[in-house]
Amino acid sequence: MRICCGLAGHLELARHRDLYGTPVVVADADGHVLAVSEEALPFSVEPGIPVRQAEHLCPHATLLSSDPIEADRLRERIAAALYDLAPCVEVRVEGIAWLDLEGVPSPSASIREARRRLRTAIGREPRLGLAPGPFSARLAAARARPGRLLKIDDARAFLAPLPTRELSLDEEQMERLDLLGLRTLGAVAAIGPRELESQLGREGRRAVLLARGLEPDQLTPWQPPMFTSAHRQFEPPVQDREALLFVARALCGDLAEELGLRGAGAKQMRVRLNCEDSEVEARESIVRHPLSSAAELFGLAGSWIKSWQPHAPITEMWIELPVLEAAGRRQLRLWTGGDGTSDEVTAALERLQERHGDAVVRKPRPLLPSSPIPSQRFA
Amino acid sequence: MQVQARPLGGKTETLDHAIEAIRVRFGSQALTRVAELPPLLPWPSGTPLDRLTGIGGLPRGRLTLLTGTGTCGKLTLALALLAQATHEFAHAVVIDHARQFDPWAMLPFDPDFGSLTVITPPSAEAAGEAASALARAGAGFILLMGEIPEPWLAPMEAGAARSGAVVVGVVDAPGRALAHASSLSLGFTQEGWIYERGQPVGLNVEARYSRNKLAPPVGKSDLEIFYAIGSNSPPHRSGEAGRGRQLTPLDQQQDVECESAAV
Repeated sequence: MRICCGLAGHLELARHRDLYGTPVVVADADGHVLAVSEEALPFSVEPGIPVRQAEHLCPHATLLSSDPIEADRLRERIAAALYDLAPCVEVRVEGIAWLDLEGVPSPSASIREARRRLRTAIGREPRLGLAPGPFSARLAAARARPGRLLKIDDARAFLAPLPTRELSLDEEQMERLDLLGLRTLGAVAAIGPRELESQLGREGRRAVLLARGLEPDQLTPWQPPMFTSAHRQFEPPVQDREALLFVARALCGDLAEELGLRGAGAKQMRVRLNCEDSEVEARESIVRHPLSSAAELFGLAGSWIKSWQPHAPITEMWIELPVLEAAGRRQLRLWTGGDGTSDEVTAALERLQERHGDAVVRKPRPLLPSSPIPSQRFA
Repeated sequence: MQVQARPLGGKTETLDHAIEAIRVRFGSQALTRVAELPPLLPWPSGTPLDRLTGIGGLPRGRLTLLTGTGTCGKLTLALALLAQATHEFAHAVVIDHARQFDPWAMLPFDPDFGSLTVITPPSAEAAGEAASALARAGAGFILLMGEIPEPWLAPMEAGAARSGAVVVGVVDAPGRALAHASSLSLGFTQEGWIYERGQPVGLNVEARYSRNKLAPPVGKSDLEIFYAIGSNSPPHRSGEAGRGRQLTPLDQQQDVECESAAV
């Protein structure tokens, strides 16, 4: 396993690029510090302390309130941007992006591109680490200079001199490690997993495995969204086609915004109209190329509604996108030999046959190549 | 302690937002800063043509034209490229609007027919539609036998640039639009026949650049193209066969003259 880790700082900070270079403190809803910029760290401001304490320690810092929804949207955008660089990508809102480069044809090209895309997404150079596992890769990245890659081959040797606070244990567990005289990861790695498990519970066993570079944690791969929908109820029920078109346009706008945030496109679309007499009328279609904009979505849904003649007033309209794919961000670059586009080429050939007849596409097969009659040479 | 001192707005941020929106809407390759453009990728075809292009192969994602009037070897060279492409790409496509393509003529080059598809569109418009659709879909190699209408050139170019398809066109004299759309245009002129024991076994050809947007122009080159004569079974790709020397297009490259001062 070869894991590349990019560290970009907490994504709450990346939402405010204009404050880069100044001390920034992001507070959560409970009044505690959620994230701090590097410029605030020298003032002993750390995540987890009360905001009042942070104010006291660094009075000139800019205080921001967190917006978890926006930060999660940014995380989705970064994951979608990195999706085609490695078979498995995980991005956390803490500003950590992992790429599993095992089996990637050109790992160095993927790392270079990941650096470029992270820089575009967050507006500053990420720190990069390459190591056998996610834990060691994250620690390697933390020790790299911005925009540079720190490559680790022997994870255990790299981890040995690092302090035990890198294990992310709670205060009580850290105190116990201190009492046991275990102050470096090398010391933790030297004892058996069962011994530390008897002291710290399951976390103790995990800590030993991490310190030994055995990487017990696996990445949780980001997947493009598969399904989304939007609906609107009508009270009272409507029969006016213009009203239906108006609502359909608004729903398509909402769906397009969501698709845009996720970097996805719809391969299938379904419109359902619930009638007043509890009957449901539906139309659906599979499209060749993913639809992702409001105009594209409404182009299809609107054409249906314009020609639709429901038998009763409509109480509810649903627009569903049952099959989504990452629009323009498929993992094609990970395929070799152009095989990743075979289905697209086949679809294009089928579409040509639909439009111009089956004879327009042929695959020549040698029958009697030496025949003097040209028509007998190939099937 | 100041609270949210500066607003988020600003032209740069608005521009970044617009760029990101375009990339999300149309894909990551839809809008690229010049400094971030990927290097031009060549497809090494295994023929001396690779040395003439200046980048070590035919350009991926660009249109290459082979031009020349009459018997000048351009189709032979194109068939050799196509045969090589059938071995290296999952899909090698011939768009034969002019009905000039005969797979039998490819046999001396030992093609892999499993990956070859021939499109015979009923009209030039359909040929353009097929070229742009297949370029966008990602067919590895597309051979255009004849011109396609001007409105389809831009979609084809954009599709090829996005998918990295190698597009080669074979025309006698390209129209202004097609010539303008090409990144590499190589003109062939027959200079004479090659005889062995009184029989013509090939021809001497002068290859000359009329357009090269990829690298400094190499100038012109004299080539010898040998025909396969009397060979009914698919012969080897090189060596001797039949009465004459085996058909190996651009069998030799001679006297590459650097005419351009820009080299």
